Amino acid sequence: MALIEVKNLSFTYNGAQTAALKDINLSVESGDFVLLFGESGCGKTTLLRLLKKQLRPAGKQDGEALYRFKNIADLDDRTAAAEIGYVMQNPDNQTVTDKVWHELAFGLESLGEKNEVIRRKVAEICGFFGIGDWFHRRTFELSGGQKQLLALASVMVMDPSVLILDEPTAQLDPIAASEFFASLKKINDELGVTIIIAEHRLEEVFPLADKAVLMDKGKIFMCDAPRNVGKKLSNSELSHKMSLGLPAAVRLFYALGKTGDCPLTVKEGKKFISENYNGDIARIDPPEQYLGERRAAMEVSGGYFRYERELPDVLRGLDLTVYENELLCILGANGAGKTTLLAVLSGVKRLYKGKLRIWGKKLKEYGGNSLYRGNIACLPQNPQNLFVKNTVESDLYEITKIAGYGREEGKKAVEEICAKFGILHLLKSHPYDLSGGEQQKAALAKVLLIKPAILLLDEPTKGLDACSKRGLADILKKLKDEGKTIVIVTHDVEFAAEYADRCAMFFDGQIVSVDGRINFFASNSYYTTAAARMTRPLYENAVTVELAEKLCRMNGEKRHG
Amino acid sequence: MRYFDRLHPAAALVYFLFMILTAMLSLNPAVIVLCYLSGVIFCGILTGFKNLFKSLLYSIPLTALIALTNPIFSHRGETVLFFLNDNPVTKEAILYGVFTALMLMSVFYWCRNYSTVMTTDKFIYLFGRAIPKLSLVLSLILAFIPKLKRKYKEIDAAQKALGVYAAKSYVDKIRSKMRVLSILLTDSLENAVETADSMRARGYGLKHRTSFALYRFEISDGIFLAVTAVLGIGCIACIAAGGANFNFYPALSRLNLSAVSCALYACLALLGFMSLFVEVKENILWRLLKSKI
Repeated sequence: MALIEVKNLSFTYNGAQTAALKDINLSVESGDFVLLFGESGCGKTTLLRLLKKQLRPAGKQDGEALYRFKNIADLDDRTAAAEIGYVMQNPDNQTVTDKVWHELAFGLESLGEKNEVIRRKVAEICGFFGIGDWFHRRTFELSGGQKQLLALASVMVMDPSVLILDEPTAQLDPIAASEFFASLKKINDELGVTIIIAEHRLEEVFPLADKAVLMDKGKIFMCDAPRNVGKKLSNSELSHKMSLGLPAAVRLFYALGKTGDCPLTVKEGKKFISENYNGDIARIDPPEQYLGERRAAMEVSGGYFRYERELPDVLRGLDLTVYENELLCILGANGAGKTTLLAVLSGVKRLYKGKLRIWGKKLKEYGGNSLYRGNIACLPQNPQNLFVKNTVESDLYEITKIAGYGREEGKKAVEEICAKFGILHLLKSHPYDLSGGEQQKAALAKVLLIKPAILLLDEPTKGLDACSKRGLADILKKLKDEGKTIVIVTHDVEFAAEYADRCAMFFDGQIVSVDGRINFFASNSYYTTAAARMTRPLYENAVTVELAEKLCRMNGEKRHG
Repeated sequence: MRYFDRLHPAAALVYFLFMILTAMLSLNPAVIVLCYLSGVIFCGILTGFKNLFKSLLYSIPLTALIALTNPIFSHRGETVLFFLNDNPVTKEAILYGVFTALMLMSVFYWCRNYSTVMTTDKFIYLFGRAIPKLSLVLSLILAFIPKLKRKYKEIDAAQKALGVYAAKSYVDKIRSKMRVLSILLTDSLENAVETADSMRARGYGLKHRTSFALYRFEISDGIFLAVTAVLGIGCIACIAAGGANFNFYPALSRLNLSAVSCALYACLALLGFMSLFVEVKENILWRLLKSKI
């Protein structure tokens, strides 16, 4: 019996020209773990929202969406609230109350449960998720990952039979994301709750799913077991761009031109390689790049910083040199102070001890705003923090005025940069209406209009799908070719391994290691890419799927028998 | 764990209200002294004596200041002690100043004790009973404020790094703050939509909503409340019977030691030091229990 049945569903938003969903057919059995993936704006969220009565968007719908043979729009409110749970992307926004216990009780209060019942259920759920310790804490003190787990728990407390999640880990760091997925797996395995999840981060969730659904432009492009989806997607004739987002094991398997069942996890991938490939050549040495005497763009020596006198140091004895025209990725766990580090580098916060030199000059020597005129620009974690005006166009013009362009000059600069980033068609939209990737591009365009020589980016890949990440990487490459120096703080290991020149590890207020990207990830054992974990100990420095493929090919296949 | 943390908020509220009102409304020296002493010692127990001494460091000079101010401006009273710039300084005015200052301080300490014990969630719980919507709104606001603060800092930093702050003139400073506020507003409205979605998704708006609370009214809470009520009614009855009458002007009246007054002092002392008694008892019981383990 299908628990959720979607039949020939099409949907057009009020006032929109084109349909957001076209002819969707999907059937979800009780206990299934269904993964929806696809480019941003492909209709995942619309589909998910149509399955939750309280969140159904306004628009014209054809076809039906059924829950236990009943039209979801006609479900009784109480059933719809309790039996279909919905978890959203942003941990901050979906936390409603100030205390953890109140957040957990919120749904049950709405259902009108008695105090004793709520007490019991809340206790149970705390036990199940192991969050009893936070019970009396205030919600804003929790970390992003904890908040998201709380959001999950406070939906689960209503005992739903279907759990719908819309990119729940987009705002989380990798560690918190794996914890979150572990909880989802537990819910699915131990309680048999049906899960429908939309995700960009496929590495971990792909192997968990029973069914993977790839959506493209409002249609279901593919719907099959993950292994089969991996196979079909990697088919070279198809060359779908979402194949970029597949787990490393799947990509490597098909890059090597294999057929049959592909490995999904690092464990399976490791087995596949060690069984099939020789290990005589353990490493590829990256071509020596002679860079000569490089000029230091930024130099911090012995930097100390803290927010308040009573608070502990966030930076303690920081030493870091950023060279001209390089792309440096600074990696580190959440809450390690990476954003603070960036604030210090951009001159927003001042060190209380130690030196910061930009182009060899002390910060003091940059009078007034000269630091931000052509020298440094910073793209914050949330690009929305930059937008002031009602349209992207006026927002960009505003910054040209501030940066001191002439009228004609400004107009030309805006057009140029928008053409470069491919956002000309978005000029008339409200910045908040853009998708995550588009917002990022618009924000980057705005920042670049100041013509900075050094660009600082804070978690630029957060919440982006694989295609947008590739797009960002292309932009960064172009900027580097133009001679810009780029510093990125991130916890996106895969991105850093692919595109950085050098990587640095930030821990305990200091840079603990700096190296070229391949050596950096090859010498890390835990904090490294899936490809590196998969190919070790056979190969020493296969930190990306491409390198792993190359090494495999160089070594050749084992002869069986 | 302090006893007052476990005490049901309703019982604690009744107790504090009575103590604060008594401390505020009576000008009988004995009543004032009782309220002051019990308030100060209780504060020590609640916040730790180290913190109490810190607060006494500024509250005692303040008391003295208030006490000295009165005789400078008020020349009522018949016992003139000396003349200051041809103005009589009277014994009555000095004592009146001293006791008013003590009264203010005892109200201060009792209010401080109140706010230590009655945290916002207890307050919300009590008043949420009467107006469930209000308690939810309060909870929403309390969750919202820290988010807003953090957001403000983020936006401020982002705009600063964009170099839009000329930082030279005040007009520019104000304009840049306006910028931040405008972004903050748009952003909050945008995010509030999502919060509302999250509420609706969890069934907000269904009929017959209940309001969950962590507190349960236990027998010991009942006993505490009953004792408070009996002693409190005793105090009020004695005050109504004139047990608290006292005059500073024109001449100090003698401290009333009639049966009614003594009953008042006794009730008030019991009530005021009851908080100390329960906390100390709790402490001793705990130590006994620990020593047995």
